[in-house]
Amino acid sequence: MTESMSMVGQLLFAGLSIGGVYALVALGFVMIFRATNVVNFAQGEFAMLGAYALVALWQGLKLDYFMAILLAMVIMAVVGLLFEITIYYPLRNRTFLPVIIATIGASIMFQNGALAVFGPSPEKVRPVFGTEGGASGVTLGGVFFDFQYLVILVVTALLVGLQYIFFEYTLLGKKMQATSQDKDMARLLGIPVVFMIALTFIYSSLLGGLSGMLVAPIFFVTHKMGATLGLKAFAATICGGFGDVRGAILGGLALGVIESFGAAYISAVYKDGFSFLVLIVFLLLRPQGIFGEKVAEKA
Amino acid sequence: MTPETSFQAYALRRLKPGHLALVLGAVVVVFLPLLFPSRYAANLLILGASWGIATLGLVIVLGYTGQISLAQAAFYGIGAYAIALGTTMVGLNWWLALVLGLFAATLAGAGLGSTTLKIGGHYLAMVTICFQIIYTLITTNWVAVTGGPDGISNIKRPPFLVPLTSAQRYAWFALGALLLVAGLVWWLRDTALGRAMRAIRENELAAEALGVDTRRVKVTAFTLSAVIGALGGAIYASGYLYISPDSFNFDHAVSFLAMALVGGSASPLGSILGAGLLAYLPEWLRDLKRIYLVIYGCAIILVIVFMPEGLWGYVKLMGRRFARPAAIPPTHRAMQVGSRGTAGEEVLRVENLFKHFGGLKAVDGVDFTIIRGEIHALIGPNGSGKTTCINLLSGLYVPTSGRIHFLGRDIVGLRPSRIACDGMARSFQNLRLFRELTVWENVLVGAQRAGGSEAEVEKRAAAALEFVGLRNKAHETCLNLPYGHQKLLELARALAGQPEILLLDEPGAGLNQTEKQELIQLLKRLNEMGLTILIVDHDMSLVSQVAMRATVLNFGKKIAEGTADQVLRHPAVVEAYLGDREVALGV
Amino acid sequence: MFEIRDIQVSYGSVTALRGVSLEVQRGEIVCLLGANGAGKSTTLRTVSGLLHPLQGEVLLDGRPIHRLSPEAIVKRGISHVPEGRRIFPGLTVRENMVLGTSNRSGVTREDREADMAKIFKIFPDLDRMKRALGWTLSGGQQQMLAIARGLMARPQILLMDEPSLGLAPILVQEVFRVIKEINAAGGTTILLVEQNATMALHVSHRGYVMETGCIVLQGPAKDLLQNPQVRDAYLGGSKGPS
Repeated sequence: MTESMSMVGQLLFAGLSIGGVYALVALGFVMIFRATNVVNFAQGEFAMLGAYALVALWQGLKLDYFMAILLAMVIMAVVGLLFEITIYYPLRNRTFLPVIIATIGASIMFQNGALAVFGPSPEKVRPVFGTEGGASGVTLGGVFFDFQYLVILVVTALLVGLQYIFFEYTLLGKKMQATSQDKDMARLLGIPVVFMIALTFIYSSLLGGLSGMLVAPIFFVTHKMGATLGLKAFAATICGGFGDVRGAILGGLALGVIESFGAAYISAVYKDGFSFLVLIVFLLLRPQGIFGEKVAEKA
Repeated sequence: MTPETSFQAYALRRLKPGHLALVLGAVVVVFLPLLFPSRYAANLLILGASWGIATLGLVIVLGYTGQISLAQAAFYGIGAYAIALGTTMVGLNWWLALVLGLFAATLAGAGLGSTTLKIGGHYLAMVTICFQIIYTLITTNWVAVTGGPDGISNIKRPPFLVPLTSAQRYAWFALGALLLVAGLVWWLRDTALGRAMRAIRENELAAEALGVDTRRVKVTAFTLSAVIGALGGAIYASGYLYISPDSFNFDHAVSFLAMALVGGSASPLGSILGAGLLAYLPEWLRDLKRIYLVIYGCAIILVIVFMPEGLWGYVKLMGRRFARPAAIPPTHRAMQVGSRGTAGEEVLRVENLFKHFGGLKAVDGVDFTIIRGEIHALIGPNGSGKTTCINLLSGLYVPTSGRIHFLGRDIVGLRPSRIACDGMARSFQNLRLFRELTVWENVLVGAQRAGGSEAEVEKRAAAALEFVGLRNKAHETCLNLPYGHQKLLELARALAGQPEILLLDEPGAGLNQTEKQELIQLLKRLNEMGLTILIVDHDMSLVSQVAMRATVLNFGKKIAEGTADQVLRHPAVVEAYLGDREVALGV
Repeated sequence: MFEIRDIQVSYGSVTALRGVSLEVQRGEIVCLLGANGAGKSTTLRTVSGLLHPLQGEVLLDGRPIHRLSPEAIVKRGISHVPEGRRIFPGLTVRENMVLGTSNRSGVTREDREADMAKIFKIFPDLDRMKRALGWTLSGGQQQMLAIARGLMARPQILLMDEPSLGLAPILVQEVFRVIKEINAAGGTTILLVEQNATMALHVSHRGYVMETGCIVLQGPAKDLLQNPQVRDAYLGGSKGPS
């Protein structure tokens, strides 16, 4: 392989991998939105909390790495449930504006809570394969396949696949789909809607937490890490088609790749801006995104 | 009546609690820097003042107009950088730099505002966030122009009547500016523009149908908030004499929003309260420094859940008893209706109207004509297309094909507000009142569309209120009115603009027999005054008592027309309502 | 077996039902007629638990159910097919029907398949379109699906809200044929709200006519068909202010 081709390959691999993380967070967004019509501005913070939970358990309590991941997931599930009870439930009948603000308030609370507990210095976590501080991987055809990036891609693919199976082939999955399509009709059929919504929040929190744990070894864990992650994931869902699962995944992956190539060929400094530029273009030209449908108000 | 007492009476009548607040505010502005002369305290006052100004901008766009903006820190920053760059790198006069900064903010605000034309809700929130983030990226990274993360120092103070060299003096300047802006924002609330903004917040569709150009008003709201935000930033820059991109990032945009919400976003004073609280919170919670932001985030959630109107909402609730509402002008002349045309002419002509929603043919080739001075009924079973017709006539829907002529002009494709200003007024099947506005304010919005000075608008509104008999309830909030009166209010709101034609969508729904009779009397009086009326309703008794002619729809098609009596006896009409006897017998 | 006693229901300040009473015996088809805004849908929604009455009771086999949630009520065997079909657009015909069993506990796969087979006999069209997504169905097919889904709950009573609304006349016939068949073959009790009075009375045993929140007429369907007041209730007619 020529050098430029291997460079392209490298950028593609990295882009898809980070895109995978965006996709996971975006998926969490979309799940909550479909079930409750709520835009959760604290979704990125779930990633941050997951990463910190891992830090606390693995570094702080010195638990075995995989044990720590498992326990951290349990913690995230609890966080998701509490979030639903304290923030979504009291506001479930209000218009969208108070809910957005409340989730922003939650995000501020989480960010600063993490800052207060863990302090401002960034934490490092070891990757799944290898030791802290080392990047282990394998080189094929001039492209270095970092194991952590591979893990992210594999986990993302696995999760998306499992989720697909869950929603398409299990009764519970169908009930959750029904709840998000027509909540009141679901009640009339006897589907326990409140329980379904709680499950949705728990699942989204797990998705967010997991993506944080996966990305932690690549970037530093700070109290701010969730903010950009969340915003980019949100941008991905809008570009992909707000409320559409395929859109979230495609949008996340695409955004990761655009960022990767943009940083290399256009400007590394403005790397974070590419997602938002793409978003603005979509919002102005095609606000419904790639998979979305036009929405109009009935008089 | 001596000239003395009459002047006193006039002055007392025109004096509102707001005026008193301004005077009090002036007193506070004078005394605060005297009470806290230290440099440190003065700097805090300057910070509080500039944050207060920025938050006041949010009052206009969020509090009044109901549009979410998470870009306020960007506009604040535009003003700050204009002053910083202008006075240090370019060497401009401070006031010139200010003007340029405000101009830049105008462009940015108008640009951001124009995105609302296509999107709203969470999408709008996202766009404002993008704008804010891109702004921060540029100020942080375009080092050549903005100085990058190191920021800009040695910013100059504005040349003024007295040199503003000390922090205390500048604090006076800043607080004075705050007072000025607060006064302006407060004054805006009760102007025609302010009412239009608040109507949009309450019910954008109804506002548009009543003649408010919602597009233009929303862009104006964003522009104003941007300009005010920039002013706040300019004051901040010259106060601290040093700025860096950190002070204008997304976190600050969220702070401004939080300040507005905690204090009470629809109230200037409330927002200032919120801003002050947040500026001084770190001081008061100095020991809890590490977790005060956690408390702040928690407070936002608690306020949203338990006090949706913010702290000021509480104050307002208690202050209600002391409020002396504005006087309503006496009605010298009875209410008038539009009288531009001649008797016998066609007011409305509908030709070959089609409206398809995907596969659903809601209106499937309908023609009818309405003559000036008649009451015309449009009836038909549920789902026959009647409400769709009214929505097509008032411009809320665009027809798939067909023509609609109103007073001789083809109105297909015109904005509903334009059609309303041309003389079409309507009521809604499910009441669309501006719920947080008082009865009087609701009618004023309706009266605005006919133009004229504020005095003329008020006279028309008063006349309309008198006509429906709600004059003595003028200062109630609509929610407190019984249902029947709410429907009358919607009617008054439509009438206040002197319409040429009135479209009523199920005016009798939910009324008891007595109320229906009163409605019938009102409609007859309106008709005697020369008003043309199109009424859609299911109550055949009501329809047969008021309507002269009727058109009957079924499955989107016209199945009968003629005088009301003829139509109600028509076999096709009877079948449509009761069901097809022939088909039934075949079962 | 099922009774509504003197219920009063309001939406905010608007009183929708002022003292409505009716009863349905096992195995009957009872229709509830009236012009728009008369309160027919409100009555059904009160029965299925979406609304709660300010006064009065709703009794199933003598036991009050008017304070229960919709989920609890459907568990007791009252299945509501609401106005506007409301099938799940993103799920297939089969999936919609499977969800119809959500009110029953301990349902095995075999039970579900057996029930579906039985119901598909009444709705052969749906059998053909088993795997089609809800949104691709026509209005008439969606209505059939909504009814079929309601039947999957093995209801004691089926509440049907304006099933013929917005359907072309030939489909309207189909819907009423199906209603008759469900009742004749399966013995399902039906409370039917309809605007199409003639068709409804032809399939029902008894009927009630509502006007502005009260029952104004009741009796065997045959009698109501001949009654000129039925026509007046729809077209206002000679009735002045009462």
